[in-house]
Amino acid sequence: MNLLEKYVAEVGKYLPRKQRADIEKELKSTLEDMLEERNQAGAGNASSLQGEAAVVALLKEYGEPRKVAESYIGPRYLIGPRLYPIFELIVKIVMAAVLGAGLLGYGVSAAITKSFAGTEFFSFLGQFWLGLLGGMMNAFGSIVIVFAIIERVMPAKEIEKETAEEWNPADLAKEPDPDEVKMSEAIGTIIVTLAGLIIFNLYPNVVGIFFNTDGKWTFIPMLSDAFFTYLPWINLLGVLQIVFNAYQLRQRVWTMFTRICNIVIEVSSIALAIVMLSGPSLIDLSAGKLAGTPLADAADVFSKVMNFAPAIALIVVIIVGCIEVAQTAYRLFNSNYKTK
Amino acid sequence: MENDELVQNMLLELRRGFLSLAVLSQLSKEEYGYSLLKALSDQGMEINQSTLYPLLRRLESQGLLQSDWRIMDEARPRRYYVISTQGKAVLSKLKKEWSVMSETMSKMLS
Repeated sequence: MNLLEKYVAEVGKYLPRKQRADIEKELKSTLEDMLEERNQAGAGNASSLQGEAAVVALLKEYGEPRKVAESYIGPRYLIGPRLYPIFELIVKIVMAAVLGAGLLGYGVSAAITKSFAGTEFFSFLGQFWLGLLGGMMNAFGSIVIVFAIIERVMPAKEIEKETAEEWNPADLAKEPDPDEVKMSEAIGTIIVTLAGLIIFNLYPNVVGIFFNTDGKWTFIPMLSDAFFTYLPWINLLGVLQIVFNAYQLRQRVWTMFTRICNIVIEVSSIALAIVMLSGPSLIDLSAGKLAGTPLADAADVFSKVMNFAPAIALIVVIIVGCIEVAQTAYRLFNSNYKTK
Repeated sequence: MENDELVQNMLLELRRGFLSLAVLSQLSKEEYGYSLLKALSDQGMEINQSTLYPLLRRLESQGLLQSDWRIMDEARPRRYYVISTQGKAVLSKLKKEWSVMSETMSKMLS
């Protein structure tokens, strides 16, 4: 491989694979043309560069390989301008939720351990902020990954279609089209579901309480074994939900098929929620687990109190699910499906 | 010094606007990249290779140019570009717009 070919290959390294071979071929042909012309013009001129020196001068003039490649590909985004506003909104919501949950947890833990003063207070505060920072970084990273995937999976034509449609101020007065898939809702559901799947499968211990007893930190996971028996079903429904919403994002419009799918997923979620609600406790803060903590004596009462949280969450899932099923069923039979 | 940079940037923006028109106007007959570069330069339109080649690809992807690889008199394969039917229609419209624009600007700047 001569210097010129090495240069072309170096430019190619920074190019997308699809266009690489073609651009490399054209670049090589151009460089050879330029070199040939220079050699002809310089023939008989003693001061003109020949051979390798001429190639070096030419390549230097043509520019740094990375910059040459950049001129072909234009700007590239991890999360492009079309998705960025939704991304920003979701980040704000999730960060506020993580911060809110963290502060609530902090308040409860501090009240229980009474670490409101002295060095303990600062140590507790430090631990709390470190944990919160880690949680926020994790959440932010997960959101970025999901959006980066959507950015790449969603076809570019969809992006153009969205911006190319003529905007009419009269649209503002129109009722929203019930057959149109709300992008932000679909993306929001994907992110929340994914976050749930990540937490329950990879970091189940995050759901728990911190204790500081005699200057020693202990962390007690709250989820019971019973919860983990439901995990495969939660995972199955979660994955179905994500696949369904990703499909919705591509379709952009509700069809009879997607409405039926939605009803099936919602009914399954309601069924699972009812089973979980009527089954054994999802929170395990028994006396054994709480031994050595300030709560050991009141383990039973505390466990019962903490059990309200999943119960309320499950009841919300059931109520929201029922409303969603009713709405979807109504639209299933009262919509004139359009093809977009 | 500060103004020089500003002027350079504005010139770059101005040129970016009419380079497509200049390139389309010169491709009624087939040219390969480097020969087009020289044709443009001979008429006083200096353009950098790193600007021209991506522009050619963009115009082709928009359907305004056609290209194919060929080996002409020499052994080296070259990609030849020529304006497409759609390109001709677009060029004709752009030419009209350009003359109106250039007249307006001349009036404003005189």
